[in-house]
Amino acid sequence: MVHALDEIRRVLRPNGILIDIRPLADRWHMEVVSANGVKETGRVNDLPEQVNADVASNETMKEVESRGWLKREEEKFFPFFYSWDTPSDMEEFIAEDWSDFIGLSEESKQATRSAWAIGDADSRVRVRVKILITKWKKVTDADQS
Amino acid sequence: MTLQKDPERNETKYLHEFADFTGKHVLEIGCGEGRLTWQYAKETQTTVGIDPDRNALRIATVDRPFDLENKIHFSCADSQSLPFSKETFDLAVLAWSL
Repeated sequence: MVHALDEIRRVLRPNGILIDIRPLADRWHMEVVSANGVKETGRVNDLPEQVNADVASNETMKEVESRGWLKREEEKFFPFFYSWDTPSDMEEFIAEDWSDFIGLSEESKQATRSAWAIGDADSRVRVRVKILITKWKKVTDADQS
Repeated sequence: MTLQKDPERNETKYLHEFADFTGKHVLEIGCGEGRLTWQYAKETQTTVGIDPDRNALRIATVDRPFDLENKIHFSCADSQSLPFSKETFDLAVLAWSL
């Protein structure tokens, strides 16, 4: 990964900007949204693969920063929602697309189904994914001197 | 299935808070099917999206708006060896791919 960042630095112009935007494992919240508001029904379970991937990514960016290639300018977290009409749609998606890095407990699934069932006709279920966005600036020779 | 991704458009909001895309030459690494690309590419001078997944790039190419055909280009490439000259881009976006 460090080599890939070196490649990005190479193709960036002096004072060029890199935006790193990625999800972080953080036991994402499961919620039911209805006219009555938002009800949290549980949290997903992070699997080791995702947690280890985050650690590796963070270590890479620390290494890049310590080598003086890029300078961290700004960083924030924000929620990115995945939203479905029904709990079964959500469970199907997670089983097909996310099973390598998160899991759902039976308790959370049941809580979500129950909250959705007693909601109004427009109730939806969603997962609140935690996103990290970081702005990096290419360090030039003039910056270093 | 009835999946909606980011209906609040938080990603677009934060992306534009962090970077000014106007008139820039932009490289997006890990563009996939172009979901993030469509959120900013119209403002750029040029946008190049790379991804190692040819199937995803095929979808991105098909979905590319007609009026942006000359502005957005997709290429099957790996970030370990970028097929571009040095100092080509003003802005790079690592799109959920680090």
